[in-house]
Amino acid sequence: MEADELHTDGNAIAGLLQEIFVAEFTTLERTCQSCGDRNPAGSHRSYQGAGIVMRCPNCGDVALRLAALPDRLVFELLGTWSRPVEPRPSGAALR
Amino acid sequence: MSPRRVPLTWRIATLARLQPETPSATTLVLDVPDWPGHLAGQHVDVRLTAEDGYQAERSYSIASSPQDSQLALTVERIEDGEVSPYLTSELRPGDPLELRGPIGGYFTWQIGDGGPLLLLGGGSGLVPLMAMLRHRVDSTSSVDATLLVSARSLDDVLYREELTTLAENGVMVRYTLTREQPPGWTGWAGRVNAEMLSELGAEPNRHARVYVCGPTGFVEHVADLLVQLGHDPHAIKTERFGPTGG
Repeated sequence: MEADELHTDGNAIAGLLQEIFVAEFTTLERTCQSCGDRNPAGSHRSYQGAGIVMRCPNCGDVALRLAALPDRLVFELLGTWSRPVEPRPSGAALR
Repeated sequence: MSPRRVPLTWRIATLARLQPETPSATTLVLDVPDWPGHLAGQHVDVRLTAEDGYQAERSYSIASSPQDSQLALTVERIEDGEVSPYLTSELRPGDPLELRGPIGGYFTWQIGDGGPLLLLGGGSGLVPLMAMLRHRVDSTSSVDATLLVSARSLDDVLYREELTTLAENGVMVRYTLTREQPPGWTGWAGRVNAEMLSELGAEPNRHARVYVCGPTGFVEHVADLLVQLGHDPHAIKTERFGPTGG
């Protein structure tokens, strides 16, 4: 097996990531801090070792680092992540 | 149904029956209490717990149509795996199985999404694509659908009889056998290539909804070929099965 085949994608770790985002994970959109490309989380490459590293499908820069410890999840997000929400009433302020 | 709003909780399913598919793959048909429903293309996480508390978790694509009352998972047996040998050889009807889902929203297709559909599956990557085709049948949809199945040998092709039926009912189904072809084989042989994709009508000007699923090497290779044909990389939906230890 080639080294490049030692990865999957954001779909494979979606259950774990849903624990963090408390929302469906694979359809989150991420704009890369390096190349500016915008892609759904499910299309990102995912590398699993002692922890999980997700990388941009376009440029390969790091999108997410995650370690699942026995008592907590530790993670770092890079780039700009967005997910759609139900439309807010007009004029409603975020507090 | 909005999958986004469904909380992800572990449930105890019960194995209703086992359906052998190939020498190495078996479908588990499960009754899942309070199953919230799923979309074709989604998967579940399955968790096994040993007596000492050790847990092993794996993801399996859902094979059944959203309209099916039971949940079907097709599991490829990995000989030195931690989970798949138990699921395919030890589990018996009536046994409980812990799972959570449905998971995923990116690699999904609903009738309302329309077509034409271009589905490319390598090995057990056929499973979520089959859920889409079963959804199409159960919805009596006539959406134009094309399926390319890549397998090591004819014996390794999942759902063979059902694929034959689909081919007789308007789905264009083509096969490529990568390692071994039976005598008189008239399908394709070897790795997916640009000529096969052209014959399938995979040109980007058809504006097909493209789904590629399989081992990572297969997915990257096929996605690269599609991009070379002129497809926008953002328009190709991919799902990779990695070396997860089965």
